Amino acid sequence: MNQLIYGLITGLAFGFLLQKGQVLRYDRQLGALRLQDMTIVKFMLSTILTAMVGIYLLKDLGLIELSIKSTILGGNIIGGLLFGLGWGMLGYCPGTSMGALGEGRWDAVWGILGMLLGAALYAEAFPVMKKTVLTWGNFGKITLPEVLGINHWFLIVPLAVGGVLLFRWFERKGL
Amino acid sequence: MSTTAKGHWNPYLAGALAGLVSIFSVWGAGKFLGASTSFVKSAAMLEKLFAPDHVAGLDYFIKNAPRIDWQWMFVVGILLGALLASLSGRTFKVQAVPDMWRARYGETVGPRAAVAFIGGVVAMFGARLADG
Repeated sequence: MNQLIYGLITGLAFGFLLQKGQVLRYDRQLGALRLQDMTIVKFMLSTILTAMVGIYLLKDLGLIELSIKSTILGGNIIGGLLFGLGWGMLGYCPGTSMGALGEGRWDAVWGILGMLLGAALYAEAFPVMKKTVLTWGNFGKITLPEVLGINHWFLIVPLAVGGVLLFRWFERKGL
Repeated sequence: MSTTAKGHWNPYLAGALAGLVSIFSVWGAGKFLGASTSFVKSAAMLEKLFAPDHVAGLDYFIKNAPRIDWQWMFVVGILLGALLASLSGRTFKVQAVPDMWRARYGETVGPRAAVAFIGGVVAMFGARLADG
């Protein structure tokens, strides 16, 4: 029961911030894909950079454990291409479709119905995928610092600096 | 810093705060944020109404059991949080066709509905295949 309440509260906070950041809008999402409006990228990258530092700090302090998903090139690449194609058509991702509905943009309903069908179809296709696509290039649960054999902060700091430089460039270009 | 319209926040600030939410979620509840698994669970719950035996036999629905869990409530929370934010900022807007779409393809609901629906099918299939 507690888990359900935590989930609801976390979602409330996250959805609130998505709406305030204007990232729930079709126009913003398509604007990012058309390289005309970087609002989505600014929001997402700010979230990622903040979380990257915080999560690894907590991990170093022994307070949390990472939850790493397998790197499977077949699934990651083909799935990523399909996701990008669908995202471009729908203009919302799974989480933002729910948020868009919350702020009154109800064309998200068509997307939500489509995503439910997509999930059901994937459940049918899963046995075949497991034998084919999901066996192509399976590297298991790896991380970049592990593969490179360096301490994670040697990646986190340059990525954070690179992110800030990118933000400065966006602002200079008025994106 | 970019200009922020009335009722909205700077995207860097809102994004960084969302990062803090995700840090506290992992720290406090041990949960990394995600949404697409909940669509699998919901699909299984709906399909179960019509074909319970079929659902019970599918590996993917055994792995992702049709049950309301932390993430499912998180996804419901996103909808409610966006509703609260849009009402508080007076930016709630009932809209059937987005502005950018309307400018190019007109305001008929049918074409937008069809493309959004097909896009949703393809995007979710891809998201699950990539395990994202």
